[in-house]
Amino acid sequence: MRRLRVCVVFLQFAAVLLFAAAQPSAPGNYIGADVIVTAAPAYVPLAELRGQERFPKGAHLLRIHEGKAEPLVPEFAASADANVSFDGSRVIFSGKQKQEDFWQIWELTIKDRSLHKVVTTAGDAERPLYLPAGRVVYALRTSAGFRLDSNDDGHPLSYVPLNPTTGPGELTLAYTRGSAFPDDVLQDGRVLFESDFPLGDGRTAEMFLVYPDGSGVESYRCDHGLARWGGTQLTSSDVVFTHGAGIARFTSPLAHEVRVPAPPAQYAGSVAETSSGDWLLSTRTAQGAHYALKLWKPGVSTMETVFAQSAADLVEPVLLAPHRMPTRFPSGLHPWNYANLLALDARLSREGALPGMPTLVRLETQDEAGKAVTMGTAPVEKDGSFFIQVPGDKPIRIALLDAKGNVLRQEHGWFWSRGGEQRICVGCHTGPERSSDNHVPEVLLHSTTPVDLTAVRSMDLAHRAATGGR
Amino acid sequence: MMQTSRSRTFAVAAGVSGLVGAAVLWTGIWMAQPAGAVVTGRVGERLIYPSPLEMIRSGDGKQLFVLCNESDEVRVIDASTGAAVKTISVGHVPRGFALSPDGNRLFVTNSWDDTLSVIDTASLQVIATWRVGSEPSSVVEDRAGRTLFVANRISNDVAVLNAQTGAEIKRLAAGRGASYMALAPDGGKLYVTHVYPNPSPHRTEPESEITVIDAQRAVVIDRMQLHGIAGVFHVAISADGRLGAAAELHPKNLVPLAHLEHGGAFEDTLMLFGADVGNQTVEVPLDELERYVARPFGVVIAPDKSRLYITSGGSELVTVIDVPRLLRCVHLHHAPFVQDLSASANYVVTRIQVGRDPRGMLLSRDGRTLMVANRLDDTISVIDTQNDRVRSTIRLASPAKLSVLRYGEQTFYTARYSFQGQIGCANCHIDSTFDGLEWDLEPDGFGRDIVDNRLIEDLKGTEPFKWNGGNPNLPTECGPRTEKYFWRSANYDDLTLADLVTYMLSLPPRPNRWRLPGYELTSAQARGKAIFERTVDKFHNPIPLQNRCSYCHSGPKGTDQKSFDVGTKRPTDNSGLLDTPQLTNVALTAPYLHDGSAATVEQIWTVFNPEDKHGRTNDLTKDELNDLVEYLRTR
Repeated sequence: MRRLRVCVVFLQFAAVLLFAAAQPSAPGNYIGADVIVTAAPAYVPLAELRGQERFPKGAHLLRIHEGKAEPLVPEFAASADANVSFDGSRVIFSGKQKQEDFWQIWELTIKDRSLHKVVTTAGDAERPLYLPAGRVVYALRTSAGFRLDSNDDGHPLSYVPLNPTTGPGELTLAYTRGSAFPDDVLQDGRVLFESDFPLGDGRTAEMFLVYPDGSGVESYRCDHGLARWGGTQLTSSDVVFTHGAGIARFTSPLAHEVRVPAPPAQYAGSVAETSSGDWLLSTRTAQGAHYALKLWKPGVSTMETVFAQSAADLVEPVLLAPHRMPTRFPSGLHPWNYANLLALDARLSREGALPGMPTLVRLETQDEAGKAVTMGTAPVEKDGSFFIQVPGDKPIRIALLDAKGNVLRQEHGWFWSRGGEQRICVGCHTGPERSSDNHVPEVLLHSTTPVDLTAVRSMDLAHRAATGGR
Repeated sequence: MMQTSRSRTFAVAAGVSGLVGAAVLWTGIWMAQPAGAVVTGRVGERLIYPSPLEMIRSGDGKQLFVLCNESDEVRVIDASTGAAVKTISVGHVPRGFALSPDGNRLFVTNSWDDTLSVIDTASLQVIATWRVGSEPSSVVEDRAGRTLFVANRISNDVAVLNAQTGAEIKRLAAGRGASYMALAPDGGKLYVTHVYPNPSPHRTEPESEITVIDAQRAVVIDRMQLHGIAGVFHVAISADGRLGAAAELHPKNLVPLAHLEHGGAFEDTLMLFGADVGNQTVEVPLDELERYVARPFGVVIAPDKSRLYITSGGSELVTVIDVPRLLRCVHLHHAPFVQDLSASANYVVTRIQVGRDPRGMLLSRDGRTLMVANRLDDTISVIDTQNDRVRSTIRLASPAKLSVLRYGEQTFYTARYSFQGQIGCANCHIDSTFDGLEWDLEPDGFGRDIVDNRLIEDLKGTEPFKWNGGNPNLPTECGPRTEKYFWRSANYDDLTLADLVTYMLSLPPRPNRWRLPGYELTSAQARGKAIFERTVDKFHNPIPLQNRCSYCHSGPKGTDQKSFDVGTKRPTDNSGLLDTPQLTNVALTAPYLHDGSAATVEQIWTVFNPEDKHGRTNDLTKDELNDLVEYLRTR
């Protein structure tokens, strides 16, 4: 049965490739570079966030040169998710040499067409993106969905990295349950990834940021609503993404998204920006139709078809050209298995005033089964500050309690702190637009030692409150 | 031993790595090479660049006067062609200038000479040089042409001079670091800003002020308190006198510096005041969520009050603000909104990229042309305000080669290396000095090892750095540790780091204002010197070697470059061993001790030395301590 499925998939691919070879559509030479695109008989948007296969009938990378498409790696049974190195000389991608293989991370050198496997994993590894300093980020399939991971890109640097977390070997970047899938690497060095909102617990696609050492995870913006996914950063630094059926953008001046007035269509995220500032998009007219490659000049009411196939979705276009390298992030993690979390004023939130005065903060983590486990509580000072030591590399969430132990507000989802991370929160869900006040948090005037909540304790809340929790 | 300005952190931190070793090695190699031999193309010669800082148009509008900070000149340029007309030499490190109301005289403040050059604008000759206060930084003449006001950065005052004779009439106490001034269009009020914060209790928010002077009576009539502000730069008043605006830095020095996102180190803001904002001060943010305008400096308001322009030295930008939209935003907000990084979207029209370290601006009378002095690439950007684009760039005659020192200086003043371009060295070392603030740095632990920032002049021979002596040299101080814990972003390459270090080591001490010519001492200073060097106390008991001032504070710079426990360890300090700081210009660098807890030098002994561990001082009288202070001021 499995062989039959493989044969069917293979035949479908053959059809796609034959079709591609036979019917080149509109010339693409005005784009200024060759385009690499993933062609798939079926593309299932957001399947990655369910831990499922985005390309259930396989996929192949096509290189479109002057309107003609050729398989980029014909020797592979399947290939997808192209990402071009900063100097434009190499392409990293998800590939299967044989149909029954796992998706693995491979790299093609354009000049000599040499191939090498970048990362070997025991399961599917997909959607690789180059990071600066000889690293890559990708999604690793686990039993709980896709996990954000990082590894060497196979071209080790000549200098010693500043921190072992960015040094050789595999590093997990996301520590909540559920899927996390990389979208792009921003110019400021952070990894843009999609997951569900609330993080680790939700069902609505949303975009998040994390540093390449797994620290500093946060929502890109906090005007959560419709599903947002497939983000790409443009040269303007704006991030364009699919929002519902349309597209929208995040822009530095605003704390909320801005809808992009693009022609009505269904968009598949992952925009490629040409040197002239036009956008190369994957769109389709209706459910059931295939995604085609379109070129759109922002502000214009129509799009031009660059390439289309009647039997395949064309998604994740990238330009085979040099592009700006993001800033390398120097990890400053300490060699600890815990993290320190300082909240400056837990009373602050986009969700409005609390129904009472918080006196305690409760920390929870998840056990292996995903069940919430209380780690203990710590006092919240009158200015809303608290300072706690939390387990590193684990899903955590906090709740604010009043003096009677009633929950005043609880985080909707989960987040994590890397081991060795020292993190400051301006408030609880204040949004990225909120800068901190400048005063010494009261909690640090009392003690510079955080309340240790790294181990499950059954300390009586009243006792803890009476002793100040320190 | 005295822990003056102990931090030794310079907004750059400590550490050891192979990169640093390479940088040190390269520095040594480079210093030994003949000029021009470096592969970077940067040359080892000490070249003098004009470094335009401010501009003024002549009374008839035909000439442009450009104040050149490094070459000690005023360059005169044909305003229509951009051609050089004449170069006028003035005093050392000119920082500000002003034209008399009749346009006949140009006054230039020479900040390191403590003088004012008077230039006749007809002959383009210096016709007089007058003595003023310490580090004069800007000058304004009243509308009647009778009185000159000079803001003195070090003496923290405004000197009032007879505009015809230069005779000083009186001094008006201003805030700390009095530097820039603007006269209201009706000539009534003079507004003075300050680059350093006023003294405030330890670990509390910085406080600055805009000193308001009645220009006719030459008296201070108001001190507008600027809560939370550390450094204020140019100030501008609208033509109708109803709106004032000052560029400023809003530090987050009391919060652990764990990361930079969300304005974690500084916010770059504008302080509004005047009738248009209800005669109160309203602070508005200039930054965005992911884009910052580091080190706002120059401010001008369009004659019709439609636009407001601000330069940002670190970001190399001019921010354009729509004034009606700004005022609408201010009126709609009933509560402060300076912490809202999305607020600037309501009033910022655009941001225009200009040259390196843009400073002063000059707007044409019709408001159609804006000129920007780019200090560190010797250019003037000419902006068409109709389309907010750089129309042309005037290049001042300057050395064709880029020197190591110049490149190091450019690196020092840019914010491009930090996460999202938020900060640079000059954020905390204003004009290559210090900021008068204490900082809480992340690697030492939240709330631990609070460090007072320090002056970075005359550094050679004062190693190690950081108040705990943890950084053996500047490449360590400014290298990998800086990128990890300050910039939070990829740092310089080895050669750039080496050039930066070379620049920093080249910073000379500014002239000591308490030292008499010929190094003679006043009687009080001489008495203080005797106390400093004494070996027995007043009771004829021998003072142990390590308890003598001159033991630890030895050598030409007042440091033996070793660490001691002088009894000043706080519960939040990780160690009591403190590196002996140099005494260079110690009078300028309050607060004192490693964490800035001593507001004055005297407090070091009267409050923080109960057991005489920090030198034998408890036998001294108030007068004797004063003598000791007088002597230390000469160092």
